[in-house]
Amino acid sequence: MSWRKSAVLLTVVALLACYAPALRGMFEQWRTDEDMSHGFLVPVVILWVIWRERERWRALPAQPNWWGWALLAVAAGLHFAGALGVGLFAESLALLISVAGAVLYLGGFSWLRTLAFPLTLALFMLPKLALVYNQATLPLQLLASRIAASMLTVAGIGVIREGNILDVGGHRVAVVEACNGIRYLLSLGFMAVVLGYLFDSKPGMWPARFTLLAAAIPIAIVANAARVAAAGWMPALDSGFAHELSGWFIFVLCLAMLILTRQLFNKMYVLYRS
Amino acid sequence: MKTISTIILVIGLSVCLKAQITLGSTVETFGVLAGSTVTSSGPTVVLGNLGVSPGTAVTGFAAIPPGGVGLVSGAIHSADAFAGTAQTQLTTAYNSAAGAASTATVSGDLGGLTFFPGVYTSNSSLAITGTVTLNALGNPNAQFIFQMGSTLTTAVGSTVLLTNGAQASNVFWQVGSSATLGTSSFFSGNILALVSISLGTGAALQGRALARNGAVTLLSNTINTPAGLGGPPPPLVTPAPSSLILVTTALLGILIYQGRKRIFKPFRT
Repeated sequence: MSWRKSAVLLTVVALLACYAPALRGMFEQWRTDEDMSHGFLVPVVILWVIWRERERWRALPAQPNWWGWALLAVAAGLHFAGALGVGLFAESLALLISVAGAVLYLGGFSWLRTLAFPLTLALFMLPKLALVYNQATLPLQLLASRIAASMLTVAGIGVIREGNILDVGGHRVAVVEACNGIRYLLSLGFMAVVLGYLFDSKPGMWPARFTLLAAAIPIAIVANAARVAAAGWMPALDSGFAHELSGWFIFVLCLAMLILTRQLFNKMYVLYRS
Repeated sequence: MKTISTIILVIGLSVCLKAQITLGSTVETFGVLAGSTVTSSGPTVVLGNLGVSPGTAVTGFAAIPPGGVGLVSGAIHSADAFAGTAQTQLTTAYNSAAGAASTATVSGDLGGLTFFPGVYTSNSSLAITGTVTLNALGNPNAQFIFQMGSTLTTAVGSTVLLTNGAQASNVFWQVGSSATLGTSSFFSGNILALVSISLGTGAALQGRALARNGAVTLLSNTINTPAGLGGPPPPLVTPAPSSLILVTTALLGILIYQGRKRIFKPFRT
């Protein structure tokens, strides 16, 4: 075995040993939190992207860079802070920074550039940052309630909204934390990044990728409100299999809208460039 | 270190806390209860009962003269026996809340702070600017009791956020004089005021506004009474499918699209 392969193997083992508690914590959150269960798929997609790009990164010469150690030191500090009680998010972020540091010291900046996209995808594996999540939850719940109430009103259906509760002719629907739209937002955001990589990966197409990701936010918010409005309008859709199916179907529509937005943007972009 | 010690102390005291406040089966059906008058202006919505006793005046609601645009999902009780019983139960609950053993002292503005289950005492007034978070530590039966000697005032757009299983029905704000909620604020919990309660324009209350002696004044508010005996039915919760299902669907869609030529090849020939 060459020294390079040995160094890579040793680094992987060391990272797994150091960050085992963080990995366990992330796994536990993916298992128990339905907003984050897509975390199981992210490593699969990352490995697939690395495999897809194998010719590219294999051809690159290894130019070890000492700045990798600086990144590892920063990650160690963050990991230590996480272990002291800052939380799982800090520990998980430290793991990502460590991986970036290891890539840099083993292969150099050219390797890091090649693996930048898989590392970006890995951000979707990180646990929810409680500080941001707690701040965003209530406004998102109220926004979904407001938009859903407006949709029903425009459709001519009488609705009384009070806070996060919709009362449609005595049929009451609560937009609780689990209905805040974060689930759609994270899933659609992840898919926007993947779609951007697959279909707009040519150099100079970054505006298309950025637009795709930006479009995912309003689409997810409106789609979540539509889901709530549908559950308020038709009591049959507010629980059980029909509810799951309607939520799933609306997400498929979201994807279609995202792809449509991309097509539209690309056409306009080509016109603008010409 | 000091902060960690304080948190441990508060959690410890919370665990030791045995006092549990209950409102009473009659008063818990009310979203709004006043001692003298209930006045509403604009499209107020009260989910639950509305009542006044020993006073009689209720104004601003469609269901009772002189009328108005306000809506009440339950019944309006003006100085009847039901409202009288509710006031008696409110007095009992108020005294229980006021007499609960304190676990910590608070003062001034609670904005930006996080509280765990317990009894928090202020000898004077309390204010809320921004967001105050009540964290039940995963226990839906955990109670939060805030005792204050005089007023409770919340700022414009302020929020009382319930997290980790905290229930609005288990939060009690025992106000020594009057409570005022700011315009467009979002408040959670049962306000038990000795004198009066005023809600600013567009303020939303997830809980109850219960005034023993004075008035309750409403301005285009929404009051959602937590489910209780005889109260409105509990709302249905509608979470989206798990993100694992959503992303799996999308990835499968992409896989099929990418491999469409190979998949549909047998059908073409």
